[in-house]
Amino acid sequence: MSETQSAGRVAGERVAGERVANGRILRLVKSGPELRALESGQVDAVLDRSTGTAYLLPDARRAMSAAGGQIANSLLAALPREDYQSLLGELEPVTLTAGEVLYESGERIRYVYFPGDAQVSLVIVMPDRKALEIGLVGREGMVGIALALGAEASPVRALVQGSGSALRMKAASFREALGRCLALQHELHRYAYAKLVQARQTAVCNRFHQVEARLAGWLLMTRDRVRSDQFHLTHQFVAASLGIRRVGVTNAAGALQRRKLISCRRGNIRILDRNGLKKAACGCYEIVRNLTG
Amino acid sequence: MRAKKANKSRAGPAVMTVVVMRLYIADAAPNSVKAIANLEAICKEHLQEGFKLEIIDVLEFPLRALADGVLVTPHLAKLAPSPAAKIVGNLSDRSNVLHALGIKS
Repeated sequence: MSETQSAGRVAGERVAGERVANGRILRLVKSGPELRALESGQVDAVLDRSTGTAYLLPDARRAMSAAGGQIANSLLAALPREDYQSLLGELEPVTLTAGEVLYESGERIRYVYFPGDAQVSLVIVMPDRKALEIGLVGREGMVGIALALGAEASPVRALVQGSGSALRMKAASFREALGRCLALQHELHRYAYAKLVQARQTAVCNRFHQVEARLAGWLLMTRDRVRSDQFHLTHQFVAASLGIRRVGVTNAAGALQRRKLISCRRGNIRILDRNGLKKAACGCYEIVRNLTG
Repeated sequence: MRAKKANKSRAGPAVMTVVVMRLYIADAAPNSVKAIANLEAICKEHLQEGFKLEIIDVLEFPLRALADGVLVTPHLAKLAPSPAAKIVGNLSDRSNVLHALGIKS
């Protein structure tokens, strides 16, 4: 096997640091039983005589990191440990930044994302560039679910609403993992069904419910995903998500503030009374929450 | 037949051969955990009390591992009885491990 091939077997080409690590590993282990063990994936760490340092291989580091901490994403956390471990080699930790577009509507899906503390809005964009949010994805879900249902392109724009961590996987690796992992299939089908119900409920909600009730429900959904009563969102962003004018958000947020349910200051939103906010929200929030968790 | 008897008479009280090994691992990395589990199973089945095992974490003691000629982990070194031997990997190839340790399966 050539050095390039064995580099791919050991860790794949993920980030520059790992490529450097692979190059170093291959210089350190050139032949013998060490190279055979490395090629068969049975090595955790490589020692460097010149620096007196032990380098943990990326797969080992990822597995140890996952075993040491809780799995942030609920879909991944629901998988049996062995299935999750089998996916780890393909999952790449990334940081998503608010305002970043993961894919535009109609664009080919290159990666699927399993958010940790990041939140992603799924937005339908009309030809006149008006946009409406039809779903919100956080730690309970996955961005790119269309791929699990056989589609190649995203039907929506995926826009990062809240910065944070996520794990991403290449589309080809995801399809391969889906083919061999029944537990992953089951979890994603359950999740896809929940998203379908959420989209239907959102359509009804947008048509029939008052802005104040919709905003209350939307803030609670955001709260569930960030697991914090305080988060940063501008009125402009909320308006785009709810498909209303900015002044509509200002008025509705003002009404919720007067009822002492929330406080807003320069985009910093704090939920003061969660139960009160639940009462102010329309019933759609609880319906969607019961399905998506 | 005679030879067999002679052997028996020369043997005297049974002397237990102790296998001395050193296993180099990397903390709780997956292959290291597997190597410990595989070696423990082999020791329990074939060596009972007749072994000494030292486990060294190379992330804590890299210089010691390098001084012992270790390049990757997991790495099992059989130190005694001679001949010395080494096995690299997670020790899942049981027959290979038994052969290196001089144990007849």
